[in-house]
Amino acid sequence: MVGSAVITITRYLLPILAAWVVVRCVRSMLSEKYEPEVWGHLIFPDASAAPLPHWECVIGRAKTSDIVVNAPDVSRIHAVLIRNDKGIWRIFDMNSRGGVYVGKEKVPKKGLEVKNGDKIRLASVSLGFADVTASELRTVDKTRTAAGTSFNPAATLLILSLFQSIIMLQYCFSAKDEYLVVTCLAFFALLAIEWMCYLLIRSIRRNGFEVETIAFFLTTLGLSIVASSTPEALVKTLILLIMGVALFFAMGWWLRDLRRAKALRWPAVLAAMGFLFINLILSEYVFGAKNWLYIGGFSLQPSELVKVLYIYAGAASLDRLFARRNLFMFIAFSAICVMALALMGDYGTAVIFFVTFLIISFMRSGSIATVFLAISGAAMAGFLVFTMKPYIAQRFATWGHVWADPYGAGYQQTRALSAAASGGLFGHGAGEGWLKNIVAANTDMVFAVICEELGLIVAVVAALSIVALAFFAFRSAAHGRSTYYVIAAGASVSLLMIQMALNIFGSLDILPFTGVTFPFVSKGGTSLLSCWMLLAFIKAADTRKNASFVVKRAEIKTRKKRGAKA
Amino acid sequence: MKKVKNRGAFVLLIALFCVLGLSLYCARYVMHGREWASFAGGGTTMGLLYDRNEVLLADAGAGTYSEDYTTRVANFHVTGDYIGNVGTGALTRLNDHLTGFNLLTGTYHTETPKAHLTVDAALNNEAYAALAGRNGSVQIVNYKTGELLCMVSSPSIDPANPGNIPDGAYLNRAISATYVPGSVFKLVTLAAALETINDIYDRTFYCGGSVMVGGDKLNCTGVHGNQTIEQALANSCNCAFSELAQTLGTDVIQAYAKKLGITDSHALDGMYTAAGSIDAHEVGNINLSWSAIGQSTDLVCPNSMLRLVSAIGNGGTLVEPTLVGHGRRLKTTKLLDAETAEKMASMMNYNVQYAYGAGSFPGLSICAKTGTAEVGDGTDHAWFVGFLDDEEHPYAFVVQVERGGGGLSVAGAIANRVLQQAVAN
Repeated sequence: MVGSAVITITRYLLPILAAWVVVRCVRSMLSEKYEPEVWGHLIFPDASAAPLPHWECVIGRAKTSDIVVNAPDVSRIHAVLIRNDKGIWRIFDMNSRGGVYVGKEKVPKKGLEVKNGDKIRLASVSLGFADVTASELRTVDKTRTAAGTSFNPAATLLILSLFQSIIMLQYCFSAKDEYLVVTCLAFFALLAIEWMCYLLIRSIRRNGFEVETIAFFLTTLGLSIVASSTPEALVKTLILLIMGVALFFAMGWWLRDLRRAKALRWPAVLAAMGFLFINLILSEYVFGAKNWLYIGGFSLQPSELVKVLYIYAGAASLDRLFARRNLFMFIAFSAICVMALALMGDYGTAVIFFVTFLIISFMRSGSIATVFLAISGAAMAGFLVFTMKPYIAQRFATWGHVWADPYGAGYQQTRALSAAASGGLFGHGAGEGWLKNIVAANTDMVFAVICEELGLIVAVVAALSIVALAFFAFRSAAHGRSTYYVIAAGASVSLLMIQMALNIFGSLDILPFTGVTFPFVSKGGTSLLSCWMLLAFIKAADTRKNASFVVKRAEIKTRKKRGAKA
Repeated sequence: MKKVKNRGAFVLLIALFCVLGLSLYCARYVMHGREWASFAGGGTTMGLLYDRNEVLLADAGAGTYSEDYTTRVANFHVTGDYIGNVGTGALTRLNDHLTGFNLLTGTYHTETPKAHLTVDAALNNEAYAALAGRNGSVQIVNYKTGELLCMVSSPSIDPANPGNIPDGAYLNRAISATYVPGSVFKLVTLAAALETINDIYDRTFYCGGSVMVGGDKLNCTGVHGNQTIEQALANSCNCAFSELAQTLGTDVIQAYAKKLGITDSHALDGMYTAAGSIDAHEVGNINLSWSAIGQSTDLVCPNSMLRLVSAIGNGGTLVEPTLVGHGRRLKTTKLLDAETAEKMASMMNYNVQYAYGAGSFPGLSICAKTGTAEVGDGTDHAWFVGFLDDEEHPYAFVVQVERGGGGLSVAGAIANRVLQQAVAN
């Protein structure tokens, strides 16, 4: 009696708190200002100065160049100028016809350092290079708005904690007696983990916690689904969550140093191929896909880790972006991944990889590159369609007609729709649904489980929170320190969104059913690990002042000695 | 950098796709959520189905029916079963009422949801008993509220223990079947004549026991001599209605059959009733006469007849029949002018006084029309349709017995028995 009264009242609070948390995160991510930055100047022969707005700038005749040089013998993409986090600039020749010179020295393949006052020559055009001065740096630093000023991240996390506490309270009445304690402990552990993360971030004087808060919000829903469907797996899920968060920090720390990160791209490619190879040989078929490995009692989905490695290796900084060899390797790598996944029968993931390939390609493609990428994209699509034909035929036959066969091909979707609708806007209360008892409900049909138990509003807010990450990544892109980070962040959010879309819309009969996971929410260990690692890529693109632990704090003191502007 | 940044807008395209998909789902939820949530194969718990007097017809959560055998059998066609054998049963068609679904709170409820049918289970029991194993249907509706008080179809089965299932037991004959109407169709011809023939009351109709139409002989049930229109209806005189038919022509008769809802399918709480059919014939063709008399190839759904007599009883305006109630706003359809309805009502009362014998319906202020429809194999469908001209008991009724025999003697007797109980309540 008390239980039903508590649920009746608190189930209206959940959507409010969920929306409040996400709206605060979104407003914080999207409303805080990015002032335009200047990191130096190029002085033209007519003494006019062009500001260098980024750490990685394309110089050339093309209108899309960061510094446009209008001279007939300058190539469209002539040179690339890159600053590293120590403030050292290097220039690279992009296979230009007229060549690039610093002073008298011709710039070799591996680039050449450029110092303040150096003369740069692109074919016949001579440009002066003026690095940013210490006072300019200080001004830039001062005008930059620090993250977390308009929306206190601790307050947002407090609201999230309230949301989690209410879900835990609902479980106090709905959980089976033997799982009551472990369920409560699991939610306490989640609270402890997120607050420890927050304190860790604060301890290194960072204030951007929106991305993490959204991830913890989604993780809460995931934990609720486990508590509802398979409470015996709560402890394992928590261990995986801790591993995921640890990997998130490790990955973020690793990505801080671009040179270090880039150095491991080849090993990442090899590791990815190794995973896929082992997977193809050793794994067993589960639910029609051969994508599970069993190692000492633990099941592992190597394709999930390959996602991270794929983005890690697929992104590139501006100097490598246009290099042909680099491009071919990327195409070959993508093709191998997609084909391997198709051979395993994991078509859902193959599609995700393919779309991610398209995004990375689109973001990195230059002029010639576009052609190659278009052709290889088409070839890969052709291969996918060819191998997936029987699968496609079967899934597409059911698609849009699930109610014609609710006891056969449309079994899962009709159950998902029925349960989702019966939840209304506010749900029946955590743990109070019936859909959780259907096979794969806690992975493939999580959106419907959330709709049923926590209501449509919470479910939609969850989906929109991932969409919000996309807007954030796009906004951050304008101030990314390197195209490597920008591409990786863009690819990561895209991958998360596509996966979410296939999961949600597949279960709701808006797209054919593919059986991929909803990031952070679906039950599944490896998937949770990969999601947290992907999050590190998004953090790496966040260059708001003192926001992201993945981005080093600006250090101005050491730059004092650098000379005055020429 | 600029280019890469601009191309990053591609991710927004995917974001847009996600938002559009979610919007589509939300729109579909608003449109179809009710059907989805009440999908019987899901796990949504359903509530209790009652008649109008809190008599339990089914406990959908437990999957059980009434504890009383007669109630189960007599109410089988309005209740239906959990397998969905009766397409028009409440357990199939109205399960959204049983889940207590609404868009805001879904099927969340603190108490077991209840749904009420407008029927009186005890009245259904009486009607089923009155049918006494004969195939047919009985319907009674309150013509002021549209509430169906009685709807019984026979043969029926016990849904709790189906046993041997007679042919056609899953068919609700009251709404899903059509029959040769016989003389009850004369009400349609009469309505057309009253509204289109100006001197209808001044005319006399001669009946010599038969009449020649286009070289064919049309027999009457008796030799009625000279009659007024009232007498012609009371005598159910075929000669008189043949004369009307040839005067009106097929277009007018068809138009009235459509206007009065005989040839259309009608929504009954989201279900659709069977549509009747009236074939066209040239003036001078005997089949035009037969069709105006309700023979030939005419087919009519009993529920369409109920709508017609219900409208006549209510002054020409029909309150649409319902099994679940209209709530605050009655759904009405104007079938006839008030004046025409008034005239027809008085003629139907004259039928009873002059031809059927008021003594057969003690205490009832009844207006009716009989029908003894020749099926073609020597047997007749018995029809008795009409209403009570009674403020306290504004009931319209249709009794139809397949191959039952005489309209008055068979269907009239059943109507009297059931109406007596309806009025006694």
